[in-house]
Amino acid sequence: MSAFLSNKVFSNISKFSREVKPLVSLRGITKKFPGVVALDNVSLDIYPGEILALLGENGAGKSTLVKILYGLYTPDKGEVIVYGEKTKILSPRHAVSKGIVLVPQTPHLIDSLSVLENLIIGLREYGVFARVDLIEDRVREIASSIGIELDPRKPVATLSYTQKQLVSIIRALLLKARVLLVDEATTLLPSREKEKFYTLFRRFTEGGGSVVLITHKVVEALRVADRIAVLKSGRLVGVIDRDRARVEDVRKLMFGKTVTNNLQVRLKKTEHIDGGERVLEVMGLWVSRWFGDYVVRGVSLSVRRGEVVGIAGIAGNGQEELVQAIVGLVKPVRGSIRLLGVDVTGKGVELTRKLGLGYIPDIPMRYGVSIDNTIEENIAALLVKGKIIKWKRVNEFTSKLIREYDVKAPHPRIPVKVLSGGNLMKVLVSRELAIARSLLVAHNPTRALDEVSARLVRRMIREKAVGEGIGVLLVSEDLDEVLELSDRILVINSGRIVGVFDANRVERERIEELMVA
Amino acid sequence: MVYLVVLRRTKPLPYASILVPVISILLGVLLSSIILYLLASIPPLALFNLIVRSFTSPTVLKDTLILTLIGLSLVIAFKASIWNIGAEGQFHMGMLVATWIALFTPIASIPVLAKITCILAGAVAGALWAILAGVLRAYVGLDEVPVTLMLNYVAYYVLDVLVYGPWRGRFTYGYIRTDEIPENLWLTLIPGTTAHVEVLATVLIVGLAIWFMFKYTVVGLRLRILGSNPEFLRASGVNVKHMVVLALGLSGAIAGIVGALYLLGDTHRVSYPVEAQTAGYGYLGILVAWLSMLDVRGLPLAAYVVSSLRVTGITIQIAGLGGTAIVFLFMGSVLLTYTIAKVFSEYTIVIRR
Repeated sequence: MSAFLSNKVFSNISKFSREVKPLVSLRGITKKFPGVVALDNVSLDIYPGEILALLGENGAGKSTLVKILYGLYTPDKGEVIVYGEKTKILSPRHAVSKGIVLVPQTPHLIDSLSVLENLIIGLREYGVFARVDLIEDRVREIASSIGIELDPRKPVATLSYTQKQLVSIIRALLLKARVLLVDEATTLLPSREKEKFYTLFRRFTEGGGSVVLITHKVVEALRVADRIAVLKSGRLVGVIDRDRARVEDVRKLMFGKTVTNNLQVRLKKTEHIDGGERVLEVMGLWVSRWFGDYVVRGVSLSVRRGEVVGIAGIAGNGQEELVQAIVGLVKPVRGSIRLLGVDVTGKGVELTRKLGLGYIPDIPMRYGVSIDNTIEENIAALLVKGKIIKWKRVNEFTSKLIREYDVKAPHPRIPVKVLSGGNLMKVLVSRELAIARSLLVAHNPTRALDEVSARLVRRMIREKAVGEGIGVLLVSEDLDEVLELSDRILVINSGRIVGVFDANRVERERIEELMVA
Repeated sequence: MVYLVVLRRTKPLPYASILVPVISILLGVLLSSIILYLLASIPPLALFNLIVRSFTSPTVLKDTLILTLIGLSLVIAFKASIWNIGAEGQFHMGMLVATWIALFTPIASIPVLAKITCILAGAVAGALWAILAGVLRAYVGLDEVPVTLMLNYVAYYVLDVLVYGPWRGRFTYGYIRTDEIPENLWLTLIPGTTAHVEVLATVLIVGLAIWFMFKYTVVGLRLRILGSNPEFLRASGVNVKHMVVLALGLSGAIAGIVGALYLLGDTHRVSYPVEAQTAGYGYLGILVAWLSMLDVRGLPLAAYVVSSLRVTGITIQIAGLGGTAIVFLFMGSVLLTYTIAKVFSEYTIVIRR
């Protein structure tokens, strides 16, 4: 297996690719949405045997490009050539039949079914008389070859996030994928697990397939990919071979020159946090899922004024339920939650919001915005305290937020659904930061954001905590983010807090160990 | 091989909010005239003449006003994605309390106050009848569609029982019906029509109020968000259950007002069986609300078109060329073509080889 990883094999691949026919070619692809040009005359080749990283800031057009390849959008102009043949990809099913398969960031699996059942559902090619045992063997083989434990008979609900992502990828492989579109699917994994997936990708490209890695982590892209394609404002601004790519150059292409230096600014910290009032106090909290198993098991924590408390952990270890219980969206089974000294346990969001809680949810489309409504309506929904809406003031405030956070939107009166994922997130984050008066609960606040926007949001969260003395509970599956932002770090695993660290004395390895233990 | 693939439009169809209702009305009328020609041999040209005459008939105004009000009632609920199919029942509960006040309370003899009391009591009764379904939906999780629909029949029969029994009048020449309400309660006719001044005033007041509510108030915004993403509404600290009850309550209140107005203006008494004495405005209103594309400003026009088609149907009926079903044929055809046109405004069909 180590042979697959050897640099000799791969360093020459892109030069070699030039003589090989591309698997998929995009020719002059243009896609417009009302008010925005999402893709502007983009031409790109995807060669067999390569990992191609697709980079770009929020709203650069990455998702649009992927959606075109996966048949969710049809381009306004230009053509897609698959295996040398001009093709109109009209639906995901059509894309899959052409060997183009998407691996999404959050796995689309049915919790109550077993791994095997989940896999078989998608496999219409295998027919009614599919040999289940053969598929089972194949799953075991792939999992063990990269060193991840996976029992195909176990229900998906019992799997870890890593295992679920692996199931998604195995499904893609079983669908006889030749082009894997990996949309941030490995971004949130701990670094050791990530390596295992990269090994799998390498082996896949060895066999003549290609992987398109959509990511906003520049450093990682440079380490894994053979070629890097950079999109900016819908244009392809550069395709660089790995040998010649330098982090600074890629960043410059992605963001333009001026902003690059800002990435290194250190965040301010609040002094004398220990003396501050406890904004949030959680005592022995137990939360169950659908009257079933406990997913939060006796969590106690507190957040003081001006303090950022980070909760690190791999997705699916009880973070979502913990956050929802604190915000008031679910009733805990046992334990208590006090916000500003008021008992808010199981009393609903009305009360917590009244006490000045800001909430950046993990699922923004569900709990954070209403996509059919306009940007200013989404702002007004939480901002306006009286009974009558003064639209002029809402409009001014919204325009100010749009400028401050550099939201790519022509004006505040367009529906949120035409925004890109990152810009939608910025609207939500800016609003919650503006309304939070006591506690901000932020769950993966920068997941959909590029480096510069993420940096901006982190700085805003910090400034809010330091400047206005607001407590911040940051729950993030991105360990870098937790390390960068927090004053205190708690590690969550299987619904329990398994470690507490002071931000000044912290070992990354120790945290990662606790996360996967 | 040639496949037809249905795709969601990435851009909305331009002018969809005008094209969809216009096209569906034209196609719906065309469809009904084909059916009428085949079944009853009504020549299309004659039918066309009838329709044109109906559109300019002075009797259309009355139904237009009434259906605009019912449309307003339903737009409130539909915008919040609360499918109130029970305007018919709320209408009859409004009529019920108005009848009670008009026939059995001393208030009936006080000039202006009597009318206002009847109308307000109608609003309260309609609201409470709808809130019944609202509470079941919000707190028990029962779907409001079957509940509001079935409550229509309960409302019919409650009123039937009253008219058949305790409320049966003394001066009814053997008919099963109540006595006439005092004349000072009757509404004022708009000269040259069958419509009433008070109904027109209500349309203007209620219409403006609802337009203002949706455009400039927090409640209006919350109702619209309830329609698109209730989970977000909950996460922003709004009691979604209250909003569901409020949406149905407001909707029912307006339907109840219409019931009261209809008694005071048109029937002046309630006859058994009540379900046969009106045109089923509560159901016709559903078509009006959808044809307006849930836009308050479009309601009067949608109501006008539906009323005219209803008059056409009645004319055909009077001419002995068909039964009550003719009206439903028009309404059904338009609603069918509307649904199809609505789908095409959001989806497109592509030929794939």
